Amino acid sequence: MLYIYLPVAHTSINILLPIGLGLLVGVMSGLFGVGGGFLMTPLLMMAGIPPTVAAATDSNQIVGASSSGSYAHWRLGNIDFRMGAYLLAGSFVGGLLGVQLIKFLREMGNADFVIKITYILMLGIVGTYMFIESLAAIRKGKKGEAEAEVKPEEKKESRMTRIVQSLPLQTDFDKSGVRQSAIVPIILGAFIGVLAAVMGVGGGFLMVPVMVYLLKMPMRVVVGTSLFLILFTCIEVTFLQAYTNHTVDFILAVLLLAGSTIGAQTGTMVGKKLKGDQLKILLAIIVLAVTVKIIIDVTSTPEILLSAAGGE
Amino acid sequence: MMRKLIKISLALLPLLLLLALAPVVSAKTTAKANHEEIDIGISYNGSTVSVSGVTEKDVDLLIKVYSRDSSEQMKVKTQVGGFLWMNGQSVEFKDVPNVYLLRGTATVDELLDRSEQEAYDIGYAALAANGSLEPEVDPDQKTQLFEEFFRYKEEGSLYARSTGGIDLETDGQQQKYDTVFDWPYQAPPDDYMITVYAVRDGRVIETADAKLVVEEVGVERALTDLAMERGGLYGIAAILVAVSAGFGVGVIFKTGGGAH
Repeated sequence: MLYIYLPVAHTSINILLPIGLGLLVGVMSGLFGVGGGFLMTPLLMMAGIPPTVAAATDSNQIVGASSSGSYAHWRLGNIDFRMGAYLLAGSFVGGLLGVQLIKFLREMGNADFVIKITYILMLGIVGTYMFIESLAAIRKGKKGEAEAEVKPEEKKESRMTRIVQSLPLQTDFDKSGVRQSAIVPIILGAFIGVLAAVMGVGGGFLMVPVMVYLLKMPMRVVVGTSLFLILFTCIEVTFLQAYTNHTVDFILAVLLLAGSTIGAQTGTMVGKKLKGDQLKILLAIIVLAVTVKIIIDVTSTPEILLSAAGGE
Repeated sequence: MMRKLIKISLALLPLLLLLALAPVVSAKTTAKANHEEIDIGISYNGSTVSVSGVTEKDVDLLIKVYSRDSSEQMKVKTQVGGFLWMNGQSVEFKDVPNVYLLRGTATVDELLDRSEQEAYDIGYAALAANGSLEPEVDPDQKTQLFEEFFRYKEEGSLYARSTGGIDLETDGQQQKYDTVFDWPYQAPPDDYMITVYAVRDGRVIETADAKLVVEEVGVERALTDLAMERGGLYGIAAILVAVSAGFGVGVIFKTGGGAH
């Protein structure tokens, strides 16, 4: 009774599974401003969905979750549209390149391997960095120095800041309270766009630390702006995946959406009650847990030494 | 002239019909599936296929449900740098069915000589012997790769072997048989064949065939066609639904929040 047949994935699934997954990832989306693709895509693969369909359908789902989350954050005044527009311009070009790249990798037959390695590197670096940084910030906070910055960080970032300040097109981003060259968000956006397409994720877990650490935006505005960007990136990726690779499973996406749109709203509400550093460390822990899981997968001996060749 | 041709055709029609039914009616062994068609609808989660019929008394049976031979492109997983597993060399398994379910009153080796197994494509050893690999490999490697292939297929529920589970009932000089296969939801839409082999003294003495058509219907069919043939339109529809769902839920929550 509860089973539904997925026409593109060519498999049957218990309805409660994608709805539950959607809910879980939706909460994370509203809470941290991530699309949750880095979690959803591997979970869908575990549920028997072919990797390429899992990644493409997840993009479709993120469109829904991030519309829901963006709307909630927009009402709270948490979106920096100007910064968003520059990041978006970059990620649009990056997305186009990424879809072509994954098509090429699939023909080579190494798509899954590249996706996994990209995951490990990106998640590992981002997770570790965020964890260390937010842990340090929380400890400082406990000592009653909530405003104090972490010293080594300041040193490390000052060189970066000098380079960034020398770039042309310096712009004021009022909502975020920062002054930056417009070139910085455009380049960072392009980088995230490529990864988003390759990994089938919205790039939120990359976008969030980029905005926090490189663009120096306050966490509150980061979450809203990130969701707003993910929405556009994933609209583009969904269309290109459906048009080029025919891998979007509409029924699966609708089931995921049923959970994730509600989850995104819930996450936004919970997020209002948590501090920035608490949010960061929570996200870091989840990111690191996923990294460990993927590393175990890639390094343990497979039970069957054959896998279906990618492509249509 | 035209009228004459039509007359001849009409006269031949009963004969043609008789010929079409020949495997079922002329042989002593008969086979019938409970339904000749499985529809994949929205709530499809696999099905069952019951095969029944009559055979000569005191024969063993082997029943095969399978798709026609095709080829399958696979990747062999190899270890890189001593710790990372990744997809390596590409191998094409040729002349093997995508779906192969086999059930017997005893195991294939107990019932059939090796030459008979291969002649009728019954059992994994026969599939490996009749199938081929591209690029070609040495016989040991071929055996090894086919073993992995069968495990891969069994894992995906597309291949299965079982012994027993066939109800037999002697009725005079005849023997009635009846068995039910679990039909895996992983088996894609296709035309499938069912063949029943009556076996005695290591040889196939008679066969009977039936057909099974699995196809998508209704919404499933429409969505698959749309996704494959009109990807752009499908993509736009998928995006619009997602955006409306997102904003829709957002508005509902806003209304709900306002009520407090």
